[in-house]
Amino acid sequence: MNIETAGLARRFGSTQAVAGVDLATGPGVFGLLGPNGAGKTTLLRMMATVIPPSSGSLRLLGRDPGRYGPRREIRRRLGYLPQNLGYYPSFTVAEFIEYFALLKEMPSARVPGAVAAAVEQVGLGERARTKLRTLSGGMLRRVGIAQAIVNDPELLLLDEPTAGLDPEQRVSFRAMLRDLGQRATVVVSTHLVEDVGAACTEVALMHQGKIVFRGTPAELTARGVDGGAGDAPLERGYTAVLAEARS
Amino acid sequence: MTATSAPARPRPAAARPSAAWPAWRLLRLELRRSPMPWTFPLLAALFAFDPYRTAMGYPAVWTIRASVLPNKLLPDFVVFVVAIAAWAGSRDGRRRTLDLVEITPRPRWAGQLAAWAATTIWAIAAFLAGTAVLYAVTATQATWGGPPWWPVIVSCAELAALAALGFTAGALWPGRFTAPLAAVATFLLSLEGFRNAVGRSSAYAVLSPTTYVPGNDAGVFYRYPPDVAIDQLMFLAGLAVVALGVLGLARSSGAGAGLRRGAAVAAAAGLAAAATAVGLAGTARQALPGTGRPPSATSPLGMQAAWVIPALHDAASDRPLPYIPVCQTVAAVPVCIHPAFRVFLPDVTAALGPVLREIAGLPGAPARAGQAASGSLVPRSGQVLVDWTPEGEISGTPPVFSYTADQVPARSFGESRRAFVTGLQAALVAAFVPAGVGQPATGAPAVPGRRTVPAVAARVAMQEALLMAAGVPLGTQRYQGLIQVQLPRAAQAQADAAAQRFAALPAATRHAWLARHLAALRAGQLTLARLP
Amino acid sequence: MTTTGLRAPAPGGPAAPAAPSLRWPALRMTSLFLASRRVPAALAALALLGLVMRAALYWHWNLGSTGSAAQAVPLLIEAGAGAVIAVSTYSPFGEPERATGRWLPWLRLGTAVALTAAALGALAAGAAAAGLAWGTLGLLRNVAGLAGLGLLTAAVTGGLLAWIGPLGYLMVAEIGLTAGWGTPLLWPGRPPANMPGALCAGLVFAAGIAVTTVRGARDSPSE
Repeated sequence: MNIETAGLARRFGSTQAVAGVDLATGPGVFGLLGPNGAGKTTLLRMMATVIPPSSGSLRLLGRDPGRYGPRREIRRRLGYLPQNLGYYPSFTVAEFIEYFALLKEMPSARVPGAVAAAVEQVGLGERARTKLRTLSGGMLRRVGIAQAIVNDPELLLLDEPTAGLDPEQRVSFRAMLRDLGQRATVVVSTHLVEDVGAACTEVALMHQGKIVFRGTPAELTARGVDGGAGDAPLERGYTAVLAEARS
Repeated sequence: MTATSAPARPRPAAARPSAAWPAWRLLRLELRRSPMPWTFPLLAALFAFDPYRTAMGYPAVWTIRASVLPNKLLPDFVVFVVAIAAWAGSRDGRRRTLDLVEITPRPRWAGQLAAWAATTIWAIAAFLAGTAVLYAVTATQATWGGPPWWPVIVSCAELAALAALGFTAGALWPGRFTAPLAAVATFLLSLEGFRNAVGRSSAYAVLSPTTYVPGNDAGVFYRYPPDVAIDQLMFLAGLAVVALGVLGLARSSGAGAGLRRGAAVAAAAGLAAAATAVGLAGTARQALPGTGRPPSATSPLGMQAAWVIPALHDAASDRPLPYIPVCQTVAAVPVCIHPAFRVFLPDVTAALGPVLREIAGLPGAPARAGQAASGSLVPRSGQVLVDWTPEGEISGTPPVFSYTADQVPARSFGESRRAFVTGLQAALVAAFVPAGVGQPATGAPAVPGRRTVPAVAARVAMQEALLMAAGVPLGTQRYQGLIQVQLPRAAQAQADAAAQRFAALPAATRHAWLARHLAALRAGQLTLARLP
Repeated sequence: MTTTGLRAPAPGGPAAPAAPSLRWPALRMTSLFLASRRVPAALAALALLGLVMRAALYWHWNLGSTGSAAQAVPLLIEAGAGAVIAVSTYSPFGEPERATGRWLPWLRLGTAVALTAAALGALAAGAAAAGLAWGTLGLLRNVAGLAGLGLLTAAVTGGLLAWIGPLGYLMVAEIGLTAGWGTPLLWPGRPPANMPGALCAGLVFAAGIAVTTVRGARDSPSE
């Protein structure tokens, strides 16, 4: 198992953002769905070792991220794309990815090749030397994906990765996720249920800091058969589960 | 090719961390993208208008020209170096990349050090470019010696220290006001804080390269004393290490326990170095050139004299540097000057010539004139003093008139050639006919006692007369603040009248009278009534 | 259900209760605008500079007591105030804020003028009865000119880098003060009653205010 949590919780002042999550998952693409404020981003940030949990246990790649040494090992094998990606406008695409490859302690000799591969993989090969300040929002998102995958991570955490991507790029991206999921654990937090349906082998639905559904996309679809608002089967399953959780 | 058509790739062997920390790659990235080079056009303009223009107005003496490096070039740079460093330090906060950089295995501190280093390297490169221009031009003009490197080294250290302080401020407080406020605060502290110390004659003023200015002839007659430079280096290095160590201790540095311990040790070491430097500065004292010994209480030296820090003092810097003086004969008297100041020989001979002709053959007239190291002359009563150091004396057998490099119009802004000439003439005249009044240590004009006024007035009148005979208008000495004796108004008026009468006599008459009465005049036995 | 999770009201059902109307909307809008520009922090920074001015004059932190030497430190503090005013023009919202109604230019104008007045007040209070070289008139001229320069710089570089203008001018002015340059463009070197110097400073201030009102600070795509 690459991710193991038990009673994982996180509080911000009086707000309980994550209210006890039990999860265990290995290689594959794991989708995280939920309405705004459900706690998806907070859960992802805990998995990315950005913030520590307030309570509960968390093990990533078989290690305890609460200790410095294991945390450092986790981070070498981790890729993270936050919801709000910051960047350095004066850097070029290649320089930005190279910067994070170096900070991720990749072997120096591997860095140039890894950067080139990451840039190609997100379809920005022709813009490798372009300054970030000149890129569109979608392209910046792809740069963010590239820095997350440059070190060929064993644990890849993506928060709203397809925001700003056009449909063609989204199709390519889902294929990339499936490929990555064959040997790594990929957790994708998204509002777009079609991303989940197309790329994820398993999906969890969060509501008010808790997981209220866990299963395959097909199982989620099945929950919407008997009623649930939406234009697509998966959407109906989503709304049905949420309605049940709220009642 | 996208991942859709590519077969599943086998995972390569688990990535091992780089055996050799790719510091150079990080640094290269930061160097390429540092905002510091954008300030170069403005810095170049400031360099041209301020330090370069000022230096070209100085004589082509290495240490004098080099004084603009810490005194002008460095302050011009400080504001922008600190502001850009604070800007660079606040980058992650402004660009919202904290989440990304804080979760990397390589501590964020490593990236920050690379960013700081890049800013500092560019700042130092710009500074060295200005230094190179200045030194290259001086090399084509200087007549002796070579470029001093201590001012360069210390100035670079100050740039690094200030960049570290600014960078740390920006990293810890990545707000919009940090860059300008850090720049203002640093400029204020580096310049004004120490100037305040100078105003109080505090030895701690020597800690700032900006306010401590070596003497005009530092490194000319004696080796450039490195005591203060070493102390400054220690202080600045300590500051830089403290600032960077504090960065490593910050919660967001991403450092583990071991690295934090290292940062704490570094910060403590930096603090110890800075504190040691401050302590050593407290032991700094002025010293007579070539001896390392302090001056006597009655002959204080001005701020341009050498400062010695006993714990750091190297006796080798007390050995005189050999040189062959450059001389020109006027009125049968060789007038000599150190080859470093060769360019002033025509002015010196033009100044001393008329006075030497006037007093040639008289008892005590100098057989030779030569330049001495600043601060090496001991004040005597009624001498012409500048910054409390005597500008000339006649001593030895045969008598030699010694004048100092403080006469050279190096740092006196706007001092004209005429003032320089007059000052030298006044020094010779005052050495030949001393006014004979004890000199207060404060440097204020000496006031003769009531009973000695008539004799002092006679000597002052003779000084004025000799100057008038040399072509200096009456009262010029007082106007330029060269005369250090304050007579009562009535006595001064009588002395002026007597001087005019004496100066109006034929040269032969003046000479003959002085030959008979000079000894009595110097002994205080003559009054104004006895002057022709 | 919409993608935002909002529910459309059921047809024929009771209307949603009306939200309470905003009292003093203009005041609320102004306070939010000021908060977005970090004006409270700017006021604190200006107050700090006023204290520094007080300390500098009280303890004679000067290169000299007369002429240009007496102005160096006060000018440095005035430039700091100009930089603070300039940096306050930075908007964290970027384009969405520009695509709003008619109030934004007035808010920018009011903020720039108010901060300049606050800077004058803080520095004048710090210099009160402390022997400022050019007096209050000189302070007014210098601060207005430096603020205007900062506002103009903001239109070119963006708000966050607008400190470059006042601090760059500071360095040039310090050189000019020492060298005795007489151009009115370096108004700190001119006596306060000197008309050309005051005119230059006033024009720069007016230009800065005008540009800030009409255009505001430049938005960088990354900011």
